[in-house]
Amino acid sequence: MTSLRDILLVARFEVLRAIRTWRAVALFLLYAIAYGGAAYVFLAILHALENQVARQLGVATTDTPGALLGPLLKSEMFQEMVLGMTGNPRLVEEVAVIPPLAIFAMWLGLLLIPFFAASASAECISIDMASRALRFEALRTGRLELVLGRFVGQLVLTAVASGVAAVVVWGMGMTMMVGNSPLQLAYWLVVLTGKAWSFSIPFAGLGVAASCLTTSPAWARVMAIGATAGSWVVYAVARYFEGGTYTIFADLTLQLLPQGWLRMLWEPGFGWLLPALVCATLGAAAVGLGFARFAARDL
Amino acid sequence: MTDRPALVFDGVHKSYGRSKALSGLSFSIPRGSICGFVGPNGAGKTTTFSVVSGFLAPDAGTLDILGLPAFDPWALKGRLGVLPQDAELSDRHTPRELLVHLGRLQGLAARAARTEAERVLALVRLGDRSDSRIASLSHGMRRRVAVGSALLGSPELVLLDEPMAGLDPLQAKSLREALTAVRGLQTLVVSSHNLDELERFCDYVVMIDKGRTLREGTVHEVTGQSALVEWDVVGAPSLEALHAALPGHTFAMVDGVMTQSAPEGADLDASSIVVVRVLGESGVGLREVRRGVGLERRFLSDALAESADVP
Repeated sequence: MTSLRDILLVARFEVLRAIRTWRAVALFLLYAIAYGGAAYVFLAILHALENQVARQLGVATTDTPGALLGPLLKSEMFQEMVLGMTGNPRLVEEVAVIPPLAIFAMWLGLLLIPFFAASASAECISIDMASRALRFEALRTGRLELVLGRFVGQLVLTAVASGVAAVVVWGMGMTMMVGNSPLQLAYWLVVLTGKAWSFSIPFAGLGVAASCLTTSPAWARVMAIGATAGSWVVYAVARYFEGGTYTIFADLTLQLLPQGWLRMLWEPGFGWLLPALVCATLGAAAVGLGFARFAARDL
Repeated sequence: MTDRPALVFDGVHKSYGRSKALSGLSFSIPRGSICGFVGPNGAGKTTTFSVVSGFLAPDAGTLDILGLPAFDPWALKGRLGVLPQDAELSDRHTPRELLVHLGRLQGLAARAARTEAERVLALVRLGDRSDSRIASLSHGMRRRVAVGSALLGSPELVLLDEPMAGLDPLQAKSLREALTAVRGLQTLVVSSHNLDELERFCDYVVMIDKGRTLREGTVHEVTGQSALVEWDVVGAPSLEALHAALPGHTFAMVDGVMTQSAPEGADLDASSIVVVRVLGESGVGLREVRRGVGLERRFLSDALAESADVP
């Protein structure tokens, strides 16, 4: 109980510290701008697709995205796009009932959030080891509680960043697109952003682990971002070998990579809870590896 | 309170690679004392504090920290306060936020932590800056916040590594008064290069050099305040007359200073009346009288003797 209390106290303090740094503000801003920019491009593509459908149907083209959303959602073109985003043909029909902007927000989140989480969490311990500010807390609580508290703090920060991004997307959906129900779009953004956030857990864990290994925040960030980028490369290689000669190794690798569970995160209902749980486990495992070093090191 | 010492080191070793920081350091600090922890740069003072605080693991030797064989954050929660020498404060918070957070981590409830933070901020005279960002505080103010963190919750054992560093004379005086006020209630271990200052408010002293103990004991024992008097005289006193007037006492002249060594249990106040009378009778003037040799001189003589012994 005391342990949990300390974890929450450390997490709260970590969040307060992080949101007061210019680096965090800049990272939040960049994340929101990236989301806004990408959503703008997506709306332009959506608009172009709608006009293409309009021409195929022989009806008038539109000035604003969303005016011909009904026919577009039923078009093969759009379903192929959704298939490309989710990677699972079984889910295309189910997912197609969700506002396209919310689908896009989750897809973008799955792409960006690993780098955001890894990069932001990479300095959470290393920076205080370098300045030795960590000593004030290390005197008063266990090292495990310190690491877990900072990890939880980073997850909260990632959730806040995801929330900010969702608000940006919702705002764009309301102002630059017609036919969106404010409540429906908000609901789906919350649900899908939540799913995308669960995908950040292993990468935040990777960042915290890197942060435990070195007293240099810059080096920790390089390690965390490098490992995140590397995981995507390994994922691509494993996918390439899937079903081939090395399928056993490929399958095993995919089980151990968060990306291997990516498609299942799109599952409707409660189907996404299993991959979310796996992501949480992988995150905890990464933190555990970092903690093994942190527990034994001089502070 | 028990008679068991607050802090015991017995043959503790710690190395950083090939460099030995502690080479069998041993000492025992009585509970309730204000202990000066003295040594030159690199003597092992900060390493000693870091070992007690669990920041560093010793390579060998045994410890007794408030009855525990090693640092344990759970067993020592709220019982041990430490001012690390070179640790920076998290400067994105205000002193109040930081101290409330640390107080809560020590196990205090939210309200108690707020009250305690207020008390400590007043103690280190930072009540008016308690809601300023630490980043906006001067070095001395940050140092006082850090000192305050060590005193949070009135822990049984407080280690202060160079607490006066960066403080102006007024701030140092008020901090000294605050520390003196807890004499007998808490055990304070204070490391400082200012030996005159330590001599003024410490009652116990541990002197270390090269990771080993040179000497430890009460300030009176170490400085010889109960057995040694230095008389800075004008003229040549008759040592024979003094020996005759005070049998058992030894008088010697060293560099124009007359040293009086009294036998154990001697009443130095009574003997000083006799010395002044004898000096007056032989027409010798008096510039200054000092009890004991002073911590600084004792330390320097011990350190020099130690370096002469070590090849």
